[in-house]
Amino acid sequence: MTASRRGRGLRSSVTYAFAFGALVLSTVLALGTYFSARHFLLEQRERTALRQAFTDSALVRDSLLTSGAEVSDVLGAISPPAGAVIYVHRHGEWYSSALDTAGPEMTTEVQPLVTSGSVGIGWTDATDPHAVVVGIPLPAVDAQYYEVSVAEELDRTLWTLALALAVCAGLTTVAGAVLGRGASRRVLTPLKEVTTAAIKLSSGDLTTRLRSTDDPDLAALVGSFNHMVDALHARIEQDARFAADVAHELRTPVTTLTTSLSLLQQSTDLSPRSARAVQLMTEELERFRRALEDLLTLGRLDAGVHDGELSTTGVRELVRQALKVADSDVVVVDTGGPDPLVEIDRPQLLRVLTNLFRNADLHGGGLTSVRVVDLGDVVDVHVEDRGPGVAAADRARIFERFARAGGQKVGTGSGLGLSIVEQTVRNHGGDVWCADREGGGAAFIVRLPTVSGRS
Amino acid sequence: MATRLLVLEDDDGLRASLRMVLEDEGYDVVEASDAELALTEVADPGVDLMLVDLMLGGMDGFSFIQRARPQTDAPIVVISARDDVRDIVAALEAGADDYVTKPFLVDEVKARLRALLRRPSIAGSQTGDEVDVFVLDSQGGPLVFDRGAAVLARGSEEIHLTNTEYRLLSVLAENAGRVLSRSLLLEHVWERGFFGDERIVDVHVRRLRKKLEADPASPDVVVTVRGLGYRLDAR
Repeated sequence: MTASRRGRGLRSSVTYAFAFGALVLSTVLALGTYFSARHFLLEQRERTALRQAFTDSALVRDSLLTSGAEVSDVLGAISPPAGAVIYVHRHGEWYSSALDTAGPEMTTEVQPLVTSGSVGIGWTDATDPHAVVVGIPLPAVDAQYYEVSVAEELDRTLWTLALALAVCAGLTTVAGAVLGRGASRRVLTPLKEVTTAAIKLSSGDLTTRLRSTDDPDLAALVGSFNHMVDALHARIEQDARFAADVAHELRTPVTTLTTSLSLLQQSTDLSPRSARAVQLMTEELERFRRALEDLLTLGRLDAGVHDGELSTTGVRELVRQALKVADSDVVVVDTGGPDPLVEIDRPQLLRVLTNLFRNADLHGGGLTSVRVVDLGDVVDVHVEDRGPGVAAADRARIFERFARAGGQKVGTGSGLGLSIVEQTVRNHGGDVWCADREGGGAAFIVRLPTVSGRS
Repeated sequence: MATRLLVLEDDDGLRASLRMVLEDEGYDVVEASDAELALTEVADPGVDLMLVDLMLGGMDGFSFIQRARPQTDAPIVVISARDDVRDIVAALEAGADDYVTKPFLVDEVKARLRALLRRPSIAGSQTGDEVDVFVLDSQGGPLVFDRGAAVLARGSEEIHLTNTEYRLLSVLAENAGRVLSRSLLLEHVWERGFFGDERIVDVHVRRLRKKLEADPASPDVVVTVRGLGYRLDAR
């Protein structure tokens, strides 16, 4: 039960509730209508029968009184209304206007009353359809007068009424379901907008806000949602600004340190111990400077600052240039065909590739090959090394800031290189991931949309 | 006489360390901690080269460059803690010749300064048939660029060029009729490596056009070849 309820959506639930409500309501109304109509119609029919019976019984009594005729003759002389049969019980004999002998059975209902001297009225099931039975004592002629009239039109009317009401109830239920569907859609529309906004937000578009509304029921939701996003945005910006500010404040002192240290490095009168110390400081400071640059770069990428213009570039040509910058003698593995074109910020993408080459050298035992695979809409650049590879569990984690794969020695890179790679590639509408290289080692694959794929 | 190098930087530590390193390079270093002081140095006795920080107390680096540029052709290298593109472009538009962002390596600064002081190499010198006078056709009348004498003139009117503008025009004229890519110009004029910022080239071409073109908005001396670079046509 709970499982099925959980599986059912809000909209279906509302629809079912509306349909059920409409069904109950229309059934109650239909039944009420039917029974009161039936009651009224029956009463009316009885009155008519009674009136008819009085008239007919008076005729029979008068005939019997005046002429002293036999009952059968009298009955033969009067013609009962259509669908009605007259029975007369006199001196233990039953007479019928229809010449049948069903009189005693037909009139069982009212016989006791009539025998006791009062007018009786009732219904009998002995005919089909039902018939109304009126019994009138005729003490003047020592007889009992009965008139049985079949209520054919009444049954038909009631049947038609019941059918009409049932159809109405059915239609009302369907209308209820439709109304429920519509109402739930109307109610859920704002929720859908909230969902769309939330999806946009989670994908990083922090400028998303809900449209303001005049609806007092929704204003609170819209207000608090937008307020929440503002607060979130402010918080994220504050965090980002803090990191950027810290990095920024370190720029000048780090520059002073490297500049001063370069003086010490060049002095020839240092003792071997001092020279070693200067060497250590230089190396560490270089690492520090690199980390600072990476941090600033990442800050800019996060802020979505577009440094340069996009230019259309051949991927193989770009890779060759990156290899030249990195001073590597690895050659691009060419798969033939024209150089796939991408629209990129060249310096940024050069940095992506050199970062990956550097990563391969630092952690992957050296770069082994770079392959460019043109897939039509996208182009993949595989950067492969001969290292131990990256454990499957670490493959997503290594792109996180300051993350290090298991067993890696601390103090080799800034811990930001791959984050910069990922952020840059993402900003270009591409993707980057890590896989196994055939025959051991790791492969980093950068996928970029091509110009032809974009148009 | 040693090259007079002005260091305009309000951080005492960095200014002092730069002074020491650059003096070791053989420059005659003049320190200034604010722009007013630096301007008096530029006016008298004059400087050959300037290293200018953009964020200063009082008058900032942009205003300094704007006011110093009309007084001197000496190359200006911006040292900036800002890496906002707009700041850098603004400094270049104001008249700076090149820039480095902090944290920089002092070797990088030395390389920038050396490149800006160097006269452009004469490409034809190996073959001996070098051309030193170029005639450039333009709507505003023919321009005569005498590279040897470093003079550019339209009729009798001499057009003044800064050192970097002169170097840029020289490289373009040497290769007249050929399209030169931004990265090639960056390499030849600024001696920048692969990561150089190609906007430096664009801003300088704009500055050059303002001086040579009859209508800088539709240039006919230094033309842009879309997606490839720039070309200059000479007779």
